[in-house]
Amino acid sequence: MSIIDRAKPESARPSTGKTPAGEAAPAKPAIFRKRFFGTGQRPGFLSYGLLLAFLLSSAYPLWWSVVIGSRSNEALGETWPPLLPGGNFWKNVGEVFDTVPFWLALGNSVLISGIITVSVVGFSTLAGYAFAKLRFRGRNGLMLMVVATMAIPTQLGIIPLFMVMRTLGWTGEIGAVVVPSLVTAFGVFFMRQYLVDVIPDELIESARVDGANMISTFWHVAIPAARPAMAILGLFTFMTAWTDFLWPLLVLDAGNPTLQTALSQLQSARYVDYSVVLAGAVLATLPLLVLFVLAGKQLISGIMQGAVKG
Amino acid sequence: MKFSRRNTAAAIAGAAALALIATGCAGSSDQPAGAGNPVELTVTTFGTFGYEGLYAEYEQANPGVTIKATNIDRGSNARTDAFTKLAAGSGLTDVVAIEEGWLGSIMEVSDQFVDLKDHGAADIQANWVDWKFKQGTDPAGRVIGYGTDIGPQGLCYNGKLFEAAGLPSDRESVAKLFGGQDATWEKYFELGKQYKAATGKAWYDQSGFVWNSMVNQMEEGYYTKDGELNVDGNKEMKGKFEMLAAGTAAGLSANQTQWDWGNGKAFVDGSFATFVCPGWMLGTIKGQLESAGGGAGSGWDFADVFPGGASNWGGAFLSVPKTSEHPAEAAKLAAWLTAPEQQVKQSAAANNFPSTLKAQEKLVQDATPNVLFNNAPTGAILANRAKGVVAQFKGPDDSVIQENVFGPALKSLDAGTADAGKAWSEALRLLNDLVVNN
Amino acid sequence: MTTTLNRSATPGAAKPKPTFKQRLSIFDVKASPYFYVAPFFILFALVGLFPLVYTFFVSLFDWHLLKGQGQFVGLENFAEILQDRFFWNSLFNTVSIFVLSAVPQLALALFLAAVLDQNLRAKTFWRMSILLPYIVTPVAVAMIFTNMFGEQYGLINNILGNFGLDPVMWKNETFPSHVAIATMVNWRWTGYNALILLAAMQAVPRDLYESAALDGAGAVRRFFSITLPSIRPTMVFVVITATIGGLQVFTEPRLFDPATAGGSQRQFQTTVLYLWEMAFQRQNFGKASTIAWLLFLIIVLFGFINYLISRRIATADAGRPSRAARRTIAARKRAERTNR
Repeated sequence: MSIIDRAKPESARPSTGKTPAGEAAPAKPAIFRKRFFGTGQRPGFLSYGLLLAFLLSSAYPLWWSVVIGSRSNEALGETWPPLLPGGNFWKNVGEVFDTVPFWLALGNSVLISGIITVSVVGFSTLAGYAFAKLRFRGRNGLMLMVVATMAIPTQLGIIPLFMVMRTLGWTGEIGAVVVPSLVTAFGVFFMRQYLVDVIPDELIESARVDGANMISTFWHVAIPAARPAMAILGLFTFMTAWTDFLWPLLVLDAGNPTLQTALSQLQSARYVDYSVVLAGAVLATLPLLVLFVLAGKQLISGIMQGAVKG
Repeated sequence: MKFSRRNTAAAIAGAAALALIATGCAGSSDQPAGAGNPVELTVTTFGTFGYEGLYAEYEQANPGVTIKATNIDRGSNARTDAFTKLAAGSGLTDVVAIEEGWLGSIMEVSDQFVDLKDHGAADIQANWVDWKFKQGTDPAGRVIGYGTDIGPQGLCYNGKLFEAAGLPSDRESVAKLFGGQDATWEKYFELGKQYKAATGKAWYDQSGFVWNSMVNQMEEGYYTKDGELNVDGNKEMKGKFEMLAAGTAAGLSANQTQWDWGNGKAFVDGSFATFVCPGWMLGTIKGQLESAGGGAGSGWDFADVFPGGASNWGGAFLSVPKTSEHPAEAAKLAAWLTAPEQQVKQSAAANNFPSTLKAQEKLVQDATPNVLFNNAPTGAILANRAKGVVAQFKGPDDSVIQENVFGPALKSLDAGTADAGKAWSEALRLLNDLVVNN
Repeated sequence: MTTTLNRSATPGAAKPKPTFKQRLSIFDVKASPYFYVAPFFILFALVGLFPLVYTFFVSLFDWHLLKGQGQFVGLENFAEILQDRFFWNSLFNTVSIFVLSAVPQLALALFLAAVLDQNLRAKTFWRMSILLPYIVTPVAVAMIFTNMFGEQYGLINNILGNFGLDPVMWKNETFPSHVAIATMVNWRWTGYNALILLAAMQAVPRDLYESAALDGAGAVRRFFSITLPSIRPTMVFVVITATIGGLQVFTEPRLFDPATAGGSQRQFQTTVLYLWEMAFQRQNFGKASTIAWLLFLIIVLFGFINYLISRRIATADAGRPSRAARRTIAARKRAERTNR
């Protein structure tokens, strides 16, 4: 399984330090060229220009939905799209609140994503620790199972899961959304990859020698070491659960939706007013946008660390 | 793998407990609502039902009852939603609106719905036009739906556009133009070609709705009265299809998207000049006009005429699924919403045409001018259009055939990617795939 | 750790014969790992493995959404689905949308990562800016872009019209609709993948670049001969993830035209969307399960192909970047020696 072994953490490169490209480049004096293309040490306008263009294309669709969402449907028909928000945002938001139980949906989404996150992170850390640091018969075989099942899309099990939820009478309740996502093979794999490197075996041995039992070793050695990875895994799990659409669409109903199904309901319930639909889209994006502004830095380092690890 | 049973049990119990915490429990009771016994009733409708005012009125008249309503954009999505919930065994609201087109498939599982005779249906049976009440009764004689509206069809047309094309524009002359009592589809398409020649613009918005009107007008539609499929080898139907295809090929279709019409813009920018209008469609047009910023001055009018004679397209029923926790309260609400007095109010709000006799009479009496349609007395006209309407038998897959078999075939005509022969054989092929061999 | 230190000092712990406590401790060591991994495997068996197996069971029957289990039909459902033109159509659409999203996305992400892998000012700001679309959920993305791609009066066609161009039939024509859906996927994921690739780029030892630069290799040359080979494993990872996700696209095509299940002529109906239509519109659980299983096999197949290709790349080029690097470093040292 090359996939397991390939991701050895590389030491981060020295962040500054002279790159010698500047020295090596023949000393052409054209200052414009230097400013535009940059030198080895400092990127030029071209780089910033490209990034700015990308920033605009990232932000424009969102901005556009703010603009339309704060105007009325007619704004959609204008041949040159308006660039500034209008004054109808709160009116449209009011429509959203009238059409779907927004706060209930938000609460449900937080609850569902929260429970799933706690469960996935908890069980993954437990199993990942065992696979990374404990010796037991069948370890490699079981780990192989985890890796092999990582590619199984749970989405494809919707028919039996739907039947099970019906039999249990859980349809319409958020338990039906939570239970199928309580564990992921990816989580176990991810935690195992992380813990295999960060906990020195001697630390566990010395804890054992000191007479700590297994669970307290786990609690006092593994958990503190695993904390950064737990945060990353938690973040991803939360995002995945938060964005899930197909499954909640099937087992929940309009009276008890998640944010995503409520949002889609807005689109199919109101064929009349797209400004309301887009105001809803903006509204549903806001919670994550706030989180993003507050914790964007952590999210980024999470993704980047996860990339090196995963 | 060796796992102790205790461990397994503990894990399952843990998962279950987690779910239970998340779930909570729901009790079930069906005592009459009152100040001390509040009841929340949930209702699902689709399209434009115009019930908002009535919900508020009912809540006021019945302290302790609150109504939570959901509206789905169109009948076919409401069908998928209803069947998904039926299959899930939960999630259906206390009152569920059913569209005539998929009533046939609901009848196959009619035992999942409350027999409204247990809640006084027999006492009010005489309210409805006879055929509407019969439609809501299953083969075993159980009444599972109260009729809300029926869909007699008149012709919506844009007077301004007619004028610009040198056609008469007032209601009476337009009715005469199309042939009055003897209006035919031949005449309709002929006028269309005339209009197209004069203006270069399309005559109708898209072929799908014209087709639905044509089929609903036939004595037997996609199914025979005995419930046999009636499409393959149906010469009359194929003839109509070819007539429509020829019109579309002559550029009479604006190839608009059903139920979208560019957010209603197509209703105000003169994309097309006529529109087939069952009563409930008037409410749809109202919504589209509002959405596009159009209003009373946009030129739309409603003529007391329909090509091919009387036609009924659609109409709905209110049912109470057996999963309802308050069947008695729900049945009471459904009966109230569909009573003549409320049907009159619903018609005022949504422009649809009532299915109870008294309400129909009232609309004729009042002949209220409809501002959006150049002050046409739409209700009274619809009452006239309802004369001679007969109930067409709707089979289990009627709406599927309309939406998924003929829908794509007609769309390919509109887009110009198929001729009549190709589109018809594609429809038969789809029928085979989606209905016969499903 | 001090709290656990004192535990061994509890009275009665040190006796020659294995005490109850010692036996307990041995049991602890032996059994604990199983207790740790058990919750995962049990839950996974219940919510991952069981549904998969049961899906196969259902696929062997006529099974109606409402009426439930019907006749046993063996592999007839498989035979019928394999001859079902809508199934192949959905596969074609899925693969087409996947290619239209994966290829430009990867190229753009690579390019962006290379731009970001410089000594930029306001690093975090730029990184956050490219990640912004990731926090917009697919449902919201679909709603926003569905409006932008409206055929009549949509933003993009409005703008095209201003330049005298014909409107594009984003929903009614196959290829444009695939482009539209791929755009939604690309918009949301490009920045995310760029960050992953950036992380990999930053792990490339800097002295490789330094020696190559000393040898006179330009920025482009360095990118292709050092950066790309070094981040290949990460690229494979990104591709595999994109494949698994790309073969299961549902939300975007579902909401692109909420009135139909993937377009009036199924021009953008993906396989998962077809599965949904089969199960909940056509109410045929038997055939829907068949589609689920076939899609599962296809995903496994794609995963396997991916794995083989990445294995081949890995073995064929084993040590190539480092060998090349070693060569340059050696050459540089030689040069230094001769200069001295």
